[in-house]
Amino acid sequence: MVSPKSKMAAATEDPAILRRNRPGTKAQDFYSWPYEPFEEMDSTLAVQQFIQQNIRQDHNNIDKILEPPEGQDEGVWKYEHLRQFCLELNGLAVKLQVNTECNPETCTQMTATEQWIFLCAAHKTPKECPAIDYTRHTLDGAASLLNSNKYFPSRVSIKESSVAKLGSVCRRIYRIFSHAYYHHRNIFDEFENETCLCKRFTVFVTKYNLMSKDNLIVPILEEGPGESEA
Amino acid sequence: MDDGSTGNPHAVPPGSNQPGMIPNKPQTLQDEQSQQNKYSIPGILHFIQHEWARFEMERAHWEVERAELQARIAFLQGERKGQENLKRDLVRRIKMLEYALKQERAKYHKLKYGTELNQGEMRPPTPPSDEERETDSPLSQNSQVTWRQGRQLLRQYLQEIGYSDTILDVRSNRVRTLLGLTPNESTKQDGEAGEVLVNGEQEREARRDADRRPAEKKRAGIPEIDSEASVLATFDFLSSEAVDDEDEENLSDGEEDGGAADDESEDREQRRRREKGKKALVQMMENESLAGMEDVLADPETEEALAEFDFLVSEAGEGAGEAKSTDGAEWGLDKSPTTEEWAMDKNLLNKLKEEFKKERKSKKGAKRPNRSTLQAMLANLGGDDDIVMPAGGPPRTAINNPDLGPLDEPRKEGPRRAVLGVGGPEEESLEAALGLGDLAGLTVTNEAEPLQYDVAATKEAFRKTWNPKYTLRSHFDAVRALAFHPIEPVLITASEDHTLKMWNLQKTVPAKKSASLDVEPIYTFRAHSGPVTCLCVSSNGDQCYSGSTDSTIRCWNIPSPNIDPYDAFDPTVLGQALVGHTDAIWGVTIHSVKQQLLSCSADSTVRLWSLQNKSPLLNTYTAEKDDGAPTSVDFVRCELSQMVAAYSSSVAVLYDLETAQPVAKLDARQGSDSGVSSQINRVVAHPTLPITITAHEDRHIKFFDNNSGKMVNTMVAHLDAVTSLAVDPNGLYLLSGSHDCSIRLWNLDSKTCVQEITSHRKKFDESIFDVAFHPSKPYIASAGADALAKVFV
Repeated sequence: MVSPKSKMAAATEDPAILRRNRPGTKAQDFYSWPYEPFEEMDSTLAVQQFIQQNIRQDHNNIDKILEPPEGQDEGVWKYEHLRQFCLELNGLAVKLQVNTECNPETCTQMTATEQWIFLCAAHKTPKECPAIDYTRHTLDGAASLLNSNKYFPSRVSIKESSVAKLGSVCRRIYRIFSHAYYHHRNIFDEFENETCLCKRFTVFVTKYNLMSKDNLIVPILEEGPGESEA
Repeated sequence: MDDGSTGNPHAVPPGSNQPGMIPNKPQTLQDEQSQQNKYSIPGILHFIQHEWARFEMERAHWEVERAELQARIAFLQGERKGQENLKRDLVRRIKMLEYALKQERAKYHKLKYGTELNQGEMRPPTPPSDEERETDSPLSQNSQVTWRQGRQLLRQYLQEIGYSDTILDVRSNRVRTLLGLTPNESTKQDGEAGEVLVNGEQEREARRDADRRPAEKKRAGIPEIDSEASVLATFDFLSSEAVDDEDEENLSDGEEDGGAADDESEDREQRRRREKGKKALVQMMENESLAGMEDVLADPETEEALAEFDFLVSEAGEGAGEAKSTDGAEWGLDKSPTTEEWAMDKNLLNKLKEEFKKERKSKKGAKRPNRSTLQAMLANLGGDDDIVMPAGGPPRTAINNPDLGPLDEPRKEGPRRAVLGVGGPEEESLEAALGLGDLAGLTVTNEAEPLQYDVAATKEAFRKTWNPKYTLRSHFDAVRALAFHPIEPVLITASEDHTLKMWNLQKTVPAKKSASLDVEPIYTFRAHSGPVTCLCVSSNGDQCYSGSTDSTIRCWNIPSPNIDPYDAFDPTVLGQALVGHTDAIWGVTIHSVKQQLLSCSADSTVRLWSLQNKSPLLNTYTAEKDDGAPTSVDFVRCELSQMVAAYSSSVAVLYDLETAQPVAKLDARQGSDSGVSSQINRVVAHPTLPITITAHEDRHIKFFDNNSGKMVNTMVAHLDAVTSLAVDPNGLYLLSGSHDCSIRLWNLDSKTCVQEITSHRKKFDESIFDVAFHPSKPYIASAGADALAKVFV
């Protein structure tokens, strides 16, 4: 009704529907609008819209969330999912940070099990950052990489060489889950209850083979690969 | 210095060719003769006695004078030796520092790029005097023509600054009478000039030494030794200029003036130095970086003048030589040192001109001359036309009073300061050529460039077209709000990905194949547990406040714009949370004078917070039921006691902050399109006028008069809902953003669209959430649903 684009989008539905979070919207009404089928999304951000829409609908329905629409480019699909993981991982980082739950005194190193100390790759020479710094740096670094104009100039098509970068991002951000799981279990559980994020992430990296199963050390899936190591 | 004793014209052994002796001997002969001639004996005797007494008196007078001068020479020689040592020491230190820095650089380069830095002149410091000599020699072949040209130029400039020929003549005559010198003095000049030609280098070193001495003295107290030294270097030039002028005069006056020249120029030099000292005082008052010149004043001036003495003498000697150049072949030799200097100037001239022009534009940048300047000025010892002081009165008469009128000359300092500030890569080659040290390469005038940019930018602050310059990509979801730092080119963005990010627009990453620059965020603010919807920055740039759908308002202590993005977590960045709202926050705005914050929330309240109190909540403003939820809020900038809140029902209400009672209702409902919601998405108060501007979902922007409450203007501003408004700090332009993907710039006076920029892509049916003007710099920015923020210049 108002812009050509929204006219097109609204053509098949109620013409009054504009999917907007207008100022004054109540928090519970945020993003609460009629479901929009993927085929009707004409935005360049359709994949993100689609993923977010499915997550909002039911964040427990991991299979639906991870089920790409027909004909979807797999690189973009993985990329957009990883963006969404990083976005939601902010929530875990905030929980770890709040009340200095995870602080440089208690968690001087980024560890999960005793097996590994993770070095922070955000620096020129990787160093042993405290866990909370590692978490922040890794998320910032991931944001930087995933938004890099060099590697990911478009959100519609992605070069094969750039898709290869996703694996290392996955490996790094997974350590945030594992650290929370082994050192801040209550926070992890609370967060997992709200979001199912670790479970979704585990299924995601397994499905798209972005991480080796040996590295998935959080026993989140009932018969998942991580269980054996737990 | 080895030539110290011989380099002085007064260092002639007593009695050898003393002016007092010459007339004396013939006189005694005459005495006998006159006795033989039978004149009246008593008359003759009387005459002889009278004459003899007169000569004796004169002789005694001369003897005294000679003794005085010799004492002075001895003193000066001692002084110069001391300074020479000091200078050597300083040069050695400079070289060492230079070398150390180079090695540091090489190390850094190696660490950074893994390759060896190719610094051609990586070598341990060498004795400075050798180097100077080395580099001076190739210049000696330069012809006398250049010298003459330079001399002409200088004469011209001297005249410009008020040293006209008449004044010079008057002064030289005065000095001559004061000193009562005879033509014989010029013979001494010969010897002296000969010394000069042999020892030209040492003389120059001595001069530099003299220049550095005061700098050294002040070292303990003042960090800007270099600037001081460079000032002195300029003085140096000026002194030589004065001497040169003296030369010209000598040419016209004839040989007998030669002797007077040195003393006269010395005298004048003292005066000049004092004058300059005063000017430097002015400079100092403006800019303490040039401090230390008070030395020249406070310290007995004689000392300074004496320090200068040797050099002057040598210069004067050269001058005398020039005067006599037609006489003898021996003088031909004299020219080499002089020519060297002038030839150097020629080489420097153009480069310095360029730099001068450049620097003039950014005087601010030039205020703090750096190290390279010193070298540049030293290289310039002979001077060049750009350093001549512009606009000057006739020589001062009250020169001995340092307090007299130092303030009436500050204008002169501007351009000169600019010159002092020269530095940069262009000089490097020059410096290398002159071999005066690689110091020029050590520092680059970093300050100058941004400042220059500022100057240019301010001028163009409101030119017609804005162009995209920076794309800020790092958010994972829609950017809901943004705000500029009040002074720095720093932007803070708030996003639906629950974070805020801070961007320093001066830390850019060169982007490939793109006109716009990429900027990496330098800090990520994490604490919200929901999308961040609104943001404001305090007017000192120390704090920012963000509101979120998690119902909290967070205070943040903004970290330094130069923070390392991957620094350790600093919990002090996270300030307190303002808790009170029970639903999503949709608007925050700050009043920095009152230290108060207004927020509006989907819980239908607008709240006023104190930013200092322990219990921050000051007041709550609850809307009437049918007004809907507040969507945006702003302080009425020209009426301290009021604020305006906009509601989803398309009503804006002016409240009295104290009583919480509505003052006026700004109703926009009349005349709006039916069917489409006409809710107000944003309300802003004009910074200076009692006007409220509202942005509506139904594409309109409306203007209200606060006093009458009447709508004074309405316009369909966009193709889709208008989401955001910003008024420039001067209140002349309005910026609006819309879900039609464009931002538009409006002339507030004529209400016409000045520019439209398509800026962001859509996510669902949303596109642009916020726009902003930088409070003090020519930047505008837009925040988009596509997770990008863009900055336009």
